[in-house]
Amino acid sequence: MFDIDLSPLRLSLQVAALATAICLVLGVALAWLLARRRFWGRGLLSALVTLPLVLPPTVLGYYLLQVLGRRSLAGEFLEDAFGLRLAFAWEGAVIASTIVALPLMVRSAQAAFEAVDPSLENTARTLGRTNFAVFFTVTLPLAWPGVVAGTALAFARAVGEFGATIMFAGNIPGQTRTMPVAIYDAWQSGDAALANSLVAILTVTSVLSLLVIGRLLRVPHW
Amino acid sequence: MLEVDVGKRLGSFHLATAFSAGDEIAVLFGPSGAGKSLTLQTIAGILRPDKGLVRVNGLTAFDSAAGVNLPPQERRIGYVPQGYALFPHLTVARNIGYGLSGLDRRQRAQRVQEMIGLLGLAGLEARRPRELSGGQQQRVALARALVFRPRLLLLDEPFAALDEAIRSTLRQELLDIRRRMAVTIVLVTHDLAEAFALGDRIAVLDNGRVLQQGEREDVYYRPASRRVAELVQARNILAGRVVENGADGLQIDRQGRRVKGPPCPWAAVGPAVDFCIRASQVMVVRPGRPANPGERFNVFRGRVVREDLGAEGYLVYVRLAGSEQPHDLQIELPIHIYYRLNLDTDKDVDVSLNPELIHIMPASTGGGSASV
Repeated sequence: MFDIDLSPLRLSLQVAALATAICLVLGVALAWLLARRRFWGRGLLSALVTLPLVLPPTVLGYYLLQVLGRRSLAGEFLEDAFGLRLAFAWEGAVIASTIVALPLMVRSAQAAFEAVDPSLENTARTLGRTNFAVFFTVTLPLAWPGVVAGTALAFARAVGEFGATIMFAGNIPGQTRTMPVAIYDAWQSGDAALANSLVAILTVTSVLSLLVIGRLLRVPHW
Repeated sequence: MLEVDVGKRLGSFHLATAFSAGDEIAVLFGPSGAGKSLTLQTIAGILRPDKGLVRVNGLTAFDSAAGVNLPPQERRIGYVPQGYALFPHLTVARNIGYGLSGLDRRQRAQRVQEMIGLLGLAGLEARRPRELSGGQQQRVALARALVFRPRLLLLDEPFAALDEAIRSTLRQELLDIRRRMAVTIVLVTHDLAEAFALGDRIAVLDNGRVLQQGEREDVYYRPASRRVAELVQARNILAGRVVENGADGLQIDRQGRRVKGPPCPWAAVGPAVDFCIRASQVMVVRPGRPANPGERFNVFRGRVVREDLGAEGYLVYVRLAGSEQPHDLQIELPIHIYYRLNLDTDKDVDVSLNPELIHIMPASTGGGSASV
């Protein structure tokens, strides 16, 4: 089992880490917006963010192909202007994983923001601190446990992402073949031994990753 | 100097508060749901009124006509909400220093130490709010609101969550702090004793409106209406009809009984009026004793129908002779007086209403509670 090609593992971790980072920034912003602001189209935004939880990942992958594929308007523009190709590239796998993992991050963080007593924020504002400072010194620290939980869920979902990835990024060895895709591929081609090894490696790696995330984003005690 | 005149619609509730405060402790007093906290929030800048004006020591914080609405950050108004809103993840020292971000580290530490000394919080600097007693939490909240030298301090039910024992100590401390810091304070409470103990001026709020504002004695002894009299617990609020209005006072007919009242220039002969006398001001005439000057008028025979023992004394309920009410008067008596009078349920008693202590109010127009 030591001559196994580990590039799917490296790729999975890379894709999942990047997708989780994007989810963290984007998800916290969206969660705060949904928890604390009332604006036109809020309900629609909330539904859109949650949609990936409901739709099968293959449908999401199909949408991605339509919107960002090589023959779509946006896809053509990105390729002509920046030389950036998303479909059937590892960057595409990041996009797919981000979209699939985002609702988990947003749901968890939104609940955490909603649980922060607004009177703490209001009082902080009367003490002369900018809204920006209040967010980073009061709101975010108090919502942190929920944000950490959301991050762990998002990472777990990104590592396990399969359907949208195979639709949008494909199964190119060394480029877009992530662990779940590699496992499927090995099983399909009758290589049960490889499938078994990959499954074991992915399981162990996932557990370790979640432990590391929990440690890195340690929940403060108070 | 604080001027507030704000209007705000919140669902079916309509806030329309107007009051002013000078260089003192002003109390917003009223039942829960009266709009006291909302009023404070409009002053602090947390709640934006639909229209009106908030002016603090010459600073226009809100003026709908001029399109001014300063954010709370620019008002420099200290605000202690109900429950104190201490930051649970910060230590006492960092809670107190939260509003001092503009200063350098050394100055900040010095100002925090100043407040810690002033409020007797030494030794608690490194604790978290949940490791403090209610009284300590309240002091930290005060320190945090005072440390940046606000132009005004707003306190929302600051003592509501505390034991009675510590409450009076903290009230006294608040008065001391006020003297030392010379800051105008607006304090919200639903507790009449607290309003009276702390308020130089009291504004009585009910259902989003200020019913009366003035010196505390005015509000307490000379309520402007039946509703205010109820809120300041005058207890004996009666209805009658003016039958005579002379230079030496009124004659009021109440259910066939003549009651002499004080001079009251505005009262016309004929229409109904409400009048009240506080339960502590009704006198019991001791049999066989020459009447005191105040006991020469309005002496009525009645019967004790109920006695409630309170912390400070007895509340005695008296039904006047010939009355069909459950009781007509409530009399508050210190315990030693109560025993000296040898009162008991079902005993006859003579009570006297000193005309000087009776307060006349315009008859309440509809709504509210039924006339007694």
